Amino acid sequence: MTVQRQAFEKVLIANRGEIAVRILRALRELDKRGAVVYSDADRTALPVLLADEAYRIGPGPSIESYLRAEAIVELATRIGADAIHPGYGFLAENAGFAELCADAGIKFIGPPPAAMAAMGSKIESRRLMLAAGVPVVPGGDEALESLEAAATFAQELGYPVMLKASAGGGGKGMRKVRQPGELPAAYRAVRSEAAASFADDTVYLEKLVERPRHVEIQILADEHGKVVSLGERECSLQRRHQKVVEEAPSPAVDRDLRRRMGEAAVRVAGAVGYTNAGTVEFLLDSKGNFFFLEMNTRLQVEHPVTELVTGVDLVRAQIAIAEGEPLGSELENIEPRGHAIEVRLYAEDPYRDFAPSPGRIERLRLPEGPGVRNDCGVYEGDEVTILYDPLLAKLIVWGANRAQAMDRLGRALSELRIDGIRTTAPLFQRLLADEDFRHGRLDNGMLDRKMAAGELAPSLTAQRRELSAIGAVLEHLDQHGRQTAVSRSHGQRDRWREAGRREALRGRRWN
Amino acid sequence: MELIVKHVDGDVRVKIERRGDEYRLQIGDQSFVILSAETTSGVRSLLIDGGQYEVAVRSVGKDRYEVTTSAGVDTVQVQDVLTHLAEETHELGGSGTQVVEAYMPGRVVSVLVEEGSEVALGQGVVVLEAMKMENEIQAERAGVVTRVHVEPGQAVEAGDPLFDLV
Repeated sequence: MTVQRQAFEKVLIANRGEIAVRILRALRELDKRGAVVYSDADRTALPVLLADEAYRIGPGPSIESYLRAEAIVELATRIGADAIHPGYGFLAENAGFAELCADAGIKFIGPPPAAMAAMGSKIESRRLMLAAGVPVVPGGDEALESLEAAATFAQELGYPVMLKASAGGGGKGMRKVRQPGELPAAYRAVRSEAAASFADDTVYLEKLVERPRHVEIQILADEHGKVVSLGERECSLQRRHQKVVEEAPSPAVDRDLRRRMGEAAVRVAGAVGYTNAGTVEFLLDSKGNFFFLEMNTRLQVEHPVTELVTGVDLVRAQIAIAEGEPLGSELENIEPRGHAIEVRLYAEDPYRDFAPSPGRIERLRLPEGPGVRNDCGVYEGDEVTILYDPLLAKLIVWGANRAQAMDRLGRALSELRIDGIRTTAPLFQRLLADEDFRHGRLDNGMLDRKMAAGELAPSLTAQRRELSAIGAVLEHLDQHGRQTAVSRSHGQRDRWREAGRREALRGRRWN
Repeated sequence: MELIVKHVDGDVRVKIERRGDEYRLQIGDQSFVILSAETTSGVRSLLIDGGQYEVAVRSVGKDRYEVTTSAGVDTVQVQDVLTHLAEETHELGGSGTQVVEAYMPGRVVSVLVEEGSEVALGQGVVVLEAMKMENEIQAERAGVVTRVHVEPGQAVEAGDPLFDLV
């Protein structure tokens, strides 16, 4: 295999939000031109403001903008981009898009289309893993064409089961089904979500692993046949299968398990001829058995926790691999240093069933200081629409150990302010006080269970109530005061202005 | 001056006196001496008995305020005593119809029942999609759906009526 080496001069980012910002940062550091596409809703979004070049790609809805594969590849050709970085979501795991790029002579920063296609279908990837000797969750390797077929197979497999979209990912297009009565609604929801989100409504069933942890392995694979594991991330804290908090290393993984899972992940990548950055997701049961869940053939949202404990810049690594660079030997046998935790700041109200909370960000103060990293895609005054994924920003902290990382997270959250819209931030404050979280006793259903039981409900302490009352009353008085000010005579306002002018003159003398 | 502050879980009476930039507030049987300074629009630093508290307050409708502190966000209403009394009297004569509203903006994916249908507690009535997630809006009690205000494909704002439950 001859590997083409090409140093990119310009890269087009086919994405938006915080991940577009993240990729722009890597390009700027590498002194490459970063171009972005934007929809009408994102004309003044942060990635556009930080980019070297920006191009309109269509109206707000993603189907008419960020999902327009042909238009994006045509644009890349027109502006002379050498490569396209797809980020995550949108076209990132669309093998057809990667093929379009290849046909146009544009390097797709990701794996080859064949590897994506193999992993894009969960049904197919299960078959491949079985052949490669990687453990998978018991289940069906056939598409379920009807509700009746699903019901029959679920009965055979035995409840509880997990109904999944074959093209699914990122927590979308899957439902837990505990008993036959729940199947029709789940079947309807998964198929329609899958059709809407992935344009493929194929579904299949797996046996439900009770209270598993979600532990995933980050791999890097170059185009010369070398694959390395960068260790695990624990992503068990999810709500409705959507990750909310991630950390590295996992409190449940020791050096030996890390090595075994890493080796399995490298086998997975080898089985499909994988290149570039990828993540192999496993379910880890309470006895230390792990099962292949799926491979995400892209950069993950939670990649920063791996970056903080390994010192590897994953986006720069992705670009280097796509340019044909071989992986260095320093990446072999990396052990995590310290501990990193990421919390996802979504524009959702955790105390209203995570209802979307679009609107204007009236105030934004991001935490700073030791061990704090913000990957933020918005700014103060920015508008959050309901058109896209509600992830606004990620707050990531690093500490010498898990306890210090938790202390830093609490401190950072106390500095954070996002006013005007609701976010998931208050939930993390509560989570930090939770004994199970503090002791690293996590499983995939834990957050949903604790939310349902009200264990993470906001504590309406007497002090908080008093403070809210005081704040509201002072604002109320101010607003009434302002009404009085409006009715003041012109003469009086002129006198105020005169006083202001005198103040200004005095100020000048001090300088 | 006396005001009523309505929290989600109850009302409190607040007495206020102002002396320059110093406020004296009495909430229930607690007294506070408060020094307030505005940092940026709507954001105050409050000094209360030596403690420093940063509070952001935003007006979200008539006499309604969203208050953000380091502990989270609360929505409260501030009323003078007379308005409060008038409202309480009005609330005594409510009807048995519950108008179920969209609690988030989004798009109606489907309507699962017909007008006039009986529904059980927890039965799905309308499916809303927002930010790529589908959410089933369920009947919060058993009853009859007398009216459906929306149809599939329609966009709704938070607070728009979805259906009437009797």
